[in-house]
Amino acid sequence: MRSPFAYVPRRGPLQAASPGAAVAYLGAIATVAFVFSNPIVLLAAGCAAVAAGLLAGARRSVLAALRMGLALAVLIVAVNALVVSRGETVLARLGDWPLLGRVDVTAEALAEGLVLGLRAAVVLVVFAVYSACVDPDRVLRALRPLAGRSALTASLVSRLVPVAAADGARLREAARLRGPGAAPVGRAATARRLLAGSLDRAVDVAATLELRGYGLPARRTGEGRRPLSRRHRGAPRRPRQDARFLAVAAALLAATIAVAAAGAAGFHAYPTVEIDTGAATLGFAALVALTGLAPRK
Amino acid sequence: MNAAELCSALELEGLTYTYPGAPVPALDGVSLEIGEGELVLLAGRSGCGKTTLLRAACGLVPHFHGGEIEGRVAVAGVDALAGGPGELAAGVGYLAQDPESQVVSTTVAAEIALPLELRGAPAGDCARAVEEVALALAIPHLLGRAVDTLSGGELQRVALAAALVTRPRLVLLDEPTSQLDPVAGDELIWLLRRLNEEWGVTVLLAEHRLERCLAAADRVIAMDGGAIAFDGPPSEFLAWAGTSDPALETPAARMFSLAGLEPLPVGVREARSRLVEGGRVLSRGEGGLRSIHGRSSTPLTPHHPPELPQGGTAARTKGIWVELGEADERREVLRGVDFEIGAGERVALMGRNGAGKSTLLRALAGLVEPVSGKIEQESGAALLTQNPGDYLVRERVGDELLGEEGEEALRVVGLEQAVDSDPRDLSGGERQRLALAIALAGRTEGERLPGLVALDEPTRGMDRARKDDLAALARSLANRGAAVLIATHDVEFAATFAERVVLLGDGVTIADASVEEVLSGGWYFATEVARVLDLPGVVTPEQGAEALGERP
Repeated sequence: MRSPFAYVPRRGPLQAASPGAAVAYLGAIATVAFVFSNPIVLLAAGCAAVAAGLLAGARRSVLAALRMGLALAVLIVAVNALVVSRGETVLARLGDWPLLGRVDVTAEALAEGLVLGLRAAVVLVVFAVYSACVDPDRVLRALRPLAGRSALTASLVSRLVPVAAADGARLREAARLRGPGAAPVGRAATARRLLAGSLDRAVDVAATLELRGYGLPARRTGEGRRPLSRRHRGAPRRPRQDARFLAVAAALLAATIAVAAAGAAGFHAYPTVEIDTGAATLGFAALVALTGLAPRK
Repeated sequence: MNAAELCSALELEGLTYTYPGAPVPALDGVSLEIGEGELVLLAGRSGCGKTTLLRAACGLVPHFHGGEIEGRVAVAGVDALAGGPGELAAGVGYLAQDPESQVVSTTVAAEIALPLELRGAPAGDCARAVEEVALALAIPHLLGRAVDTLSGGELQRVALAAALVTRPRLVLLDEPTSQLDPVAGDELIWLLRRLNEEWGVTVLLAEHRLERCLAAADRVIAMDGGAIAFDGPPSEFLAWAGTSDPALETPAARMFSLAGLEPLPVGVREARSRLVEGGRVLSRGEGGLRSIHGRSSTPLTPHHPPELPQGGTAARTKGIWVELGEADERREVLRGVDFEIGAGERVALMGRNGAGKSTLLRALAGLVEPVSGKIEQESGAALLTQNPGDYLVRERVGDELLGEEGEEALRVVGLEQAVDSDPRDLSGGERQRLALAIALAGRTEGERLPGLVALDEPTRGMDRARKDDLAALARSLANRGAAVLIATHDVEFAATFAERVVLLGDGVTIADASVEEVLSGGWYFATEVARVLDLPGVVTPEQGAEALGERP
């Protein structure tokens, strides 16, 4: 059973773009989510990430990330409401709690939690789209000249995540198939088994890498036999989709810097909730949302 | 060719190795020399040291596994104990038993190209080498696929391609055909022979299904208890196996032994020519091979299920369609399959990789829902999937199972003495039986017994003795009243265990008949004896010997 976040080779502009361009594009959307706390802008970034994923064919990944993001957002809102008692609009006084002390639920703490949750959800969706649409092998290849070993480590980690998810699915399936006289398998036992399996797999992967020549001194490209064709002699051609994604990323980052420098799209939770809904904010949010159309064929 | 005349591709001298914490050595004073360009078959029962020997030859032992080692290992003159796998990688390709553990990249093309890229090969060289090895292994259609969408057999071929892409001088393979269907398995063995003959690659191949590769080998090394028990040509090996370890005999050799014929044949071709020379089989006529007592080959009657036993139906599917995958990857895996199995019946489910065997088992066990059609199964099903390790989550066998019902389940599979063992310390066959006990726990008797017990590829990595144990276990479950359905690529095991064979092809049933009918009528889904004699209804060595004995 495949993880919803596993990379799937598909024909699409985002998949065809070089890893650098794809990372720049998705990174620009994530940057917006990190720089601004204004919920309108965050919602726009979320729309952009969801649209990008859907247009790139990663519907399953986007839906899974939205489910996880929503659960995470609810958790963050609840925790923030309980642990932060700042704010002037008290909605409920819950008295003294062990460890937490006096708990007052305020509208401002709820709003701040909502913003934090929304940010987490947007970032999750962006990572889900990256994981499903950007080929980790191409990332590895692109990074190898800069930092070969680190690139390989990163690539292995990105592969181990969906593999662990698939292992988990198999273990849950096997747990369902146990007879009534077998000891039931709880989450802790499954997690322990999954961890042990992942460690075993890591050792196997390390052995495989050694066998494949990881420890060999790499011959510089160009040494040895001549490349076979003219196409392979020069620097690799940049995919034509790169220009689109790089331009969108550059425009979005420039707008982000400009809007942040102008002090627009602000948000303050305390002492009372203040959301900037000016024209600049709305215009910026519209621009952010529109960037989600970049992967359109 | 005389090995002594050749330069050594691999040399072991007094090699003794003990895994960390193991009470006895896995290799005990092994000395051997393999000349360049030899194709050597490594035979022996499970746990005899074959895998450890291969690991020592590629440097994983002791560099990755630790333990104590004495002696000398040299690969093309390079000291493997000093250098380790990294040092040997330039000249050695290694394929381990489990291809899942050998995949590093995300897509097939990247996985195959990785060894070349790690060596800094130019992009053009990488592209050409990937294309060539993919063509050689018949996997060019997989190049664009993500590795986690591949079946076990496909993954095994991809791992082999990654091991071969650098054109190593020595190739070490640990049961490379264990997950392949008979067609792909045969093709792989002949591909290795071609690589060996055309490129001079030295091949050291560990296998349990000796009938598949004995004819392609120059030499056989048989191991027993970590030591070399036999080293010689295939024909002498068969004579040795007949007297020293009959579990290593091939079915054709066993048939010859039972019929009192000598010398024992190394493969199907040799067996047929011996029989023709001896006047026991006539030449092929228009109606097939005209032979003993005028029996003649008849084409397999397609899809005519035999009558079910008296116990009634244990499970039935009516025209089920199953689709798997998401969105644009969605595909039909089962297409209108009608299947029925009776209580107490033993059925082998066969077919090439990707034919839909596992999906049918999963549908019968309720793990996948058909998009149309109907599944009737009232008494429940116990399914043992391809990875028995998934069932084992605790550190003591007794903790996996509860009370008396658990003890009874262990008794049924013959593991009651292992109650205090750590599941990880059990052999592969024992782990499989433990997983089956877990699936059966609490329903081993009477009305609670599942109507259907299904096992998915349970014979991978098993020697013949363990397969016989498994067949006996299946028979005992059938005698208790359960229908036993086993998906397998192993035609010899199917002939031993099953009464009936269902052959799937691309999601449809293409044959459903008695084991004698299905396994005696084809080229690939046929036992070695059936391929030698080509007689309807003759699939096992005993039946073959009887048929040969009928000849005046």
